[in-house]
Amino acid sequence: MQKVVSISLNGNSYQLEEPGYEELRVYLDRAEARLADSPDRSEVMADLEQAIGEKCRAVLGPHKSVVSAAEISGIIREMGPVESPDGKPADAGFAPGEAPGPTPGLHPRKRLFKIREGQMWAGVCNGVAAYINVDVTWVRIAVALLTLFSGGGVLLVYIVLAFIVPYADTAEDRAAAFGMPFNTEELIKSAKKNFEEFGDKYRWRREWRRQQRHWNRQFRHMNEQLRVATAQAAPIASQTARAIGSVFVPIAALVGAILFVAWILAMFSLVTQHTIFGWPLPYHIPMWVGLLALVMLYLVISGPLRMIRHGGQQAGGHHPGWGLLHGLMWIGFTALLFWAAYNFFPGVRELIDQLMWAANLTATTISETIV
Amino acid sequence: MDLTEKLVPLRKGLLEFVILKIVAGDKVYVADMLKLLGPTEFATQEGTLYPLLSKLRREELVDYEWQESEAGPPRKYYKLTAKGRTQLSTLNDYWKNLNRTLADFGN
Repeated sequence: MQKVVSISLNGNSYQLEEPGYEELRVYLDRAEARLADSPDRSEVMADLEQAIGEKCRAVLGPHKSVVSAAEISGIIREMGPVESPDGKPADAGFAPGEAPGPTPGLHPRKRLFKIREGQMWAGVCNGVAAYINVDVTWVRIAVALLTLFSGGGVLLVYIVLAFIVPYADTAEDRAAAFGMPFNTEELIKSAKKNFEEFGDKYRWRREWRRQQRHWNRQFRHMNEQLRVATAQAAPIASQTARAIGSVFVPIAALVGAILFVAWILAMFSLVTQHTIFGWPLPYHIPMWVGLLALVMLYLVISGPLRMIRHGGQQAGGHHPGWGLLHGLMWIGFTALLFWAAYNFFPGVRELIDQLMWAANLTATTISETIV
Repeated sequence: MDLTEKLVPLRKGLLEFVILKIVAGDKVYVADMLKLLGPTEFATQEGTLYPLLSKLRREELVDYEWQESEAGPPRKYYKLTAKGRTQLSTLNDYWKNLNRTLADFGN
């Protein structure tokens, strides 16, 4: 049995066996790299795709709908290496039979993406770390220090990046974010290599991972039991949740949008007039602290809203209303906790006031030292 | 460098000339060109031919039109332009001169 990949060649769809798909992808990537300087690149690529499509159609019939890997190899041999007539002199000669090997243009170009795995805020630092190939901690430290010394300028850059840089959500994006070849074979190869190095150097770490896996398994098992129990007990509850969800998701989206606009306006007014909707910052709080606070505030408020929206949209797996309930509970819980703590525990109140005071003092001191 | 290697750039340079000659006849489709070239010294593959044709079109020496085919999507049929025709006759003359010069130098 072979896994089949559906592809589109110049507007027509074909089904290829997976190894064949890989080979064809490499061929076309290489062709595109060769034609990188040619003004006819898109036209030639379309011509090549059409020619390949025609050859694929020739091997298909009423009772054969998939092009085999061997047939793709044959087609690629027939097509021959792509040469740019006005580019640099191609290394291969006139005759077919270029030795297959990695070419510089083969690997996907590295691109800046936001990366969700292990993100702190928007995943920008994570993406930058992957892009320049250093540990994310260093990037975070650098961003924090630069924020302090640039008086908030870097923070603005961060915010701008958070909005314009896309998330790496597909496997190909992720490969491009790390600049790794997206090719099953290469992935397996690099995984194997990593594993071997890992085995020698970090034996204790492997032990630790194993222990962690064990815990994870237990946790999953527990979760599964819980899920089965709730599924049996709560068809009504989930229906209710779904009904509430259908009401709340649009509201959450609307509130989220309003909040976002308000936030942008607040940032804008803070930067231009040094007030937040007419409310001036206390004189000893520098502007960047205000900006930081606004960003934090926005994230804290918008987080649960986002959770509601995503939970509501999520189909299958969990109950659709789960994210919504979770989000609402989270908002309510946080608010209640703060309110209760501030009102009923003088110690906490004192602590929060003191913390605020200390934060203000630190901020003033830092800003005074810099200025 | 052995002899065959020396002949490669020669054939490569002449391929453009040969293509113009082929296109000068009837309108042709790439598969037909490949079939014509196949048994000759100029046997070529799509990977070389398509980029070359695109370049010739950019230089306005050839042009193409879409024609329906019995099976599958429409195909590009190439033909020579007026500019291509003048360049082809220049090339023809040049080639004849070249032959004469070579003959004049003796065996």
